[in-house]
Amino acid sequence: MASNESKSAPVWRLSLVLALMTGAFLFLAGALWRIQIRDAAAYQGDFNRQSARRVRLPARRGRILDRRGRRLADNRPSYGVAIYVEELRQPGRIERTVEHVSEVVDRLAEALGLERELSEQAVRDHVVRQRPLPLLAWRDLDEAALARFVESHVKFPGGKERIPGLDVTVESVRVYPYGALAAHVLGYVGRADPERWRGESDADAESDATYDFYKPAVEGRSGMERAMDRTLQGEGGGYLLQVDALGFKHEELGRREPVAGRDLLLALDADIQAAAEQTLDGHIGAVVALDPRNGDVVALASTPAYDPNAFSVGMSHRDWARLNRDPGRPLVHRAIGGVYAPGSLFKLVVAIAALENPGIGPAQTYDCSGVFTVGNHPFRCWRRQGHGPLAMRKAIEQSCNVYFYELGIAIGHERIVRMADALGIGRRTGIELGGETRGLLPDAAWKRRVMNDAWRAGDTCNLSIGQGALGVTPLQMAVMTAAIANGGRVYRPRLVLSPRPDNPRGQSAEDLAFSSDRVFMKGDLIADLGWAPATLETVQGGMLDVVHAAAGTGSRAKLDGVRMAGKTGTAQYRRDGEDRRFAWMTGYAPFDQPRYVVVIVIEDAPGGGGLVAAPRLKHIMETALGMPLSSERTGRDTGS
Amino acid sequence: MRAWAPHVRKLGRMNWALTVSALALTVAGVLFIFSATYAHGSRNELPMHERQLYFALAGLVVYVAFTLIDYRALLRYAGVIYMFAVFLLALVLLVGTVRYGAQRWIRIAGPIGVQPSEFAKLAVMLFLARSLALPGEALQGWRPLLKRLAVVVLPVALVLKQPDMGTAAIFLPMAGLMMFVEGVRWQKLATLVVLLCLGSGLVLGALFLPEKLDVAQAPAQRALGWIGVRDYHRNRILGFVDPNRDPRGTGWNKIQSQIAIGSGGAVGKGWLQGTQNLLGYLPRSVAPTDFIYSVIAEEKGFVGSVAVLSLFALLVGSALWTAMKARDATGRLLCTGVATMLFFHVWVNVSMTIGLMPVTGLPLPLLSYGGSFMLVAWAALGMVQSVHIRLKRDEAFQIV
Repeated sequence: MASNESKSAPVWRLSLVLALMTGAFLFLAGALWRIQIRDAAAYQGDFNRQSARRVRLPARRGRILDRRGRRLADNRPSYGVAIYVEELRQPGRIERTVEHVSEVVDRLAEALGLERELSEQAVRDHVVRQRPLPLLAWRDLDEAALARFVESHVKFPGGKERIPGLDVTVESVRVYPYGALAAHVLGYVGRADPERWRGESDADAESDATYDFYKPAVEGRSGMERAMDRTLQGEGGGYLLQVDALGFKHEELGRREPVAGRDLLLALDADIQAAAEQTLDGHIGAVVALDPRNGDVVALASTPAYDPNAFSVGMSHRDWARLNRDPGRPLVHRAIGGVYAPGSLFKLVVAIAALENPGIGPAQTYDCSGVFTVGNHPFRCWRRQGHGPLAMRKAIEQSCNVYFYELGIAIGHERIVRMADALGIGRRTGIELGGETRGLLPDAAWKRRVMNDAWRAGDTCNLSIGQGALGVTPLQMAVMTAAIANGGRVYRPRLVLSPRPDNPRGQSAEDLAFSSDRVFMKGDLIADLGWAPATLETVQGGMLDVVHAAAGTGSRAKLDGVRMAGKTGTAQYRRDGEDRRFAWMTGYAPFDQPRYVVVIVIEDAPGGGGLVAAPRLKHIMETALGMPLSSERTGRDTGS
Repeated sequence: MRAWAPHVRKLGRMNWALTVSALALTVAGVLFIFSATYAHGSRNELPMHERQLYFALAGLVVYVAFTLIDYRALLRYAGVIYMFAVFLLALVLLVGTVRYGAQRWIRIAGPIGVQPSEFAKLAVMLFLARSLALPGEALQGWRPLLKRLAVVVLPVALVLKQPDMGTAAIFLPMAGLMMFVEGVRWQKLATLVVLLCLGSGLVLGALFLPEKLDVAQAPAQRALGWIGVRDYHRNRILGFVDPNRDPRGTGWNKIQSQIAIGSGGAVGKGWLQGTQNLLGYLPRSVAPTDFIYSVIAEEKGFVGSVAVLSLFALLVGSALWTAMKARDATGRLLCTGVATMLFFHVWVNVSMTIGLMPVTGLPLPLLSYGGSFMLVAWAALGMVQSVHIRLKRDEAFQIV
């Protein structure tokens, strides 16, 4: 037989085959060791990368409180209906899932009696891009619809089983309980661009773990909401999802709760703010009220205003366009961003500059004939017949233009500019808000640069009565007045009492609010100008007379039983070919121990400062001092 | 009862290592097919793992039958069986059902069908065993060698035409090792291997060079199409070389299989816990079939994957052991053929799942879901047992 002869040969050949196959199996075992033991961590990492999705959760936004702890900005829950797409997925093409989800939205709309808000395209976008997240079919449901959703079992027509994957969600919506009150200070919020958190990583996870999805969050777009956004925003949290190969949610793997934003305690007093806005009602203008002892801003009003609530739930393009096109420009914060000729208010600066100059004293007298001529150009006093000879205090009381022309020429414009600059005119005050403007403090260099012309005596005359190129903000006038009231100290106006950069983790806003009447926080002193007592006495005395003298220009602001110092102003300007005027008044009270400075300006005023501004200032001051309110609002025109 | 006694006695003499390892692998297959289809359920009324169980039971019947039937009786009809297999391979090209771009199935009734190429493996093995063992034929010359090679090339060409490159490729090492064991000089076989390599090089060149050299691709493509090479072969090879080239496309299975196996780590994620598999990253269409090994490796880790590998080594080793003890050349050749066929399926499939070879679509014997190959594998193992229980020379020839 053939097998006999070849018996030995096949055995070694078979042995060789067996050895080779064993070797080949060992080789595979080695390759498996490499993948499953040596590189296991890397493959585990690959698995995590492809199956884990990080979703960022915004933190609860901090509230904004007034100095007494009243909630000017708060959050309210908003209930919606969420669709968990993974529970409605259909086999086959993703378009089938889109159609199915869309059908569910229709069924829901029918069952809840609501109009469908999501377009087919919106459903598709969500299923394609945000598959692991719930789809919000309705936001901000009213109670009736919510109750219908909770109580009814939404089914398909003819179906028996409840449609799966539907649930109620809660979102936080920014709300401003006082409506338009302090709108410009508070600002408003809008949907945040996720780009903002693009670089942020989940602190609990590996270092390179950035978020894949972002739950809608808001960010401050204006006012305090914007300026203090970091504080209010808090620290975002997140959750980790495991998704399947098609990107649908499989399960939640972990969660890190966000850290709520810190509450903001403002120096603002809602009562004074309300009084300020009430007095401005129907006019275009601004009010600033601050504490001269430390610069705390207790009211900061600008009209016309807007309701910031309208931004919280998303504003329509039409409403936005209307706000932008409004000739009253409601989005402009006039108290810090409006630039006005200060008119006679600036005479206070000229007076101080002169008195701080050796050689000119309170007794300095000039004779007002009603007109002052520089070259051949006549500069007139507001009182055509003239005031006759006046000393400084009387000149302030009467706001005599000619006196200040003479005084300005006598001391030269450089001294006036220097004093104005020391008081912060022509600079930003540094209040914690965006949108503040510098105004303009013109000097020789400015005129050379802009007009290519030399500074002339006529420029000095204009400057001396607060006209010409000079432009100030109401806030700057308040800071100036506060310095006069407190003896020459210039404070940075302060809106935020807590948290502050020097005390970021101190007392909570709410605790502080309920002790703030007793706790007097030191102000942020920019400069102590160290004025001579005679200077202060003259200027303060002149301002006292403005309100209390029989013929004082601001007598309409006089309070019952409390002495007040003030200064009115009426600045002319032309717009649309018409002469118009700003009506100004600044004042502080009580005269001996000043607690409040109030500045008011009204654009396109029907009368001068004494007529239009003074009674309004009185109303605000009465509110601030907690006095019974007098009913008089306006009166006869006395000029300024 | 008495009539069965001698058969039961014969069965008692079988190669038990072979039986035990094969049974263990089959049970593991059913369990992990259950796991691989656990997340999404089955689209058919009968779940896949249950159907696999029935295939396995049918396989056991076939196993016992092939054990009891004397292999020499089968060899007597080897020519007829071979002709029938070739006929079926030709038939499938005409009436076969197209699945995944290839014509591999002949539908019998409803969803039930057979893959003739699987049975062709057995047919070729039997025919080659008989012709290599023909007494008085010297295998040292080129002529007899090439004559036997022609026996293999015909079915290979038909399988390539389906096209099913992986299955076609199995025939060559099977035939080569059978020839080697039966005494064909290794120099001749080496020459054939070199020629084969040159041929594959030519195919690969035709596939990729025209594009690289920026010349017309149409003539090369026509030539390749004629020998059964399709675009998806080209993509699979590209996907193998650089899986990230198109991670959602061709390279996907390879990447996901590697991640599944690698993330299984030392002891695995646990049965029914393989996240790559449950979350569908390992595509659900291939997880119970070609990539069942990835499921096992993910859920049972290095321990499990090496255990499966060891069972296959035991299976192949015991088949070769029987080959060494076989009473005659045909028995030896049959066992060698079975061992080689199983070994190459295992090696190519495992290499594919761990990313050492391109995706070829060769199933893992006894483990991968599929009826035809399950029956063929058990039949092949039964032939080995048929040789094993007839090792003694004095046993007289009986058909059963």
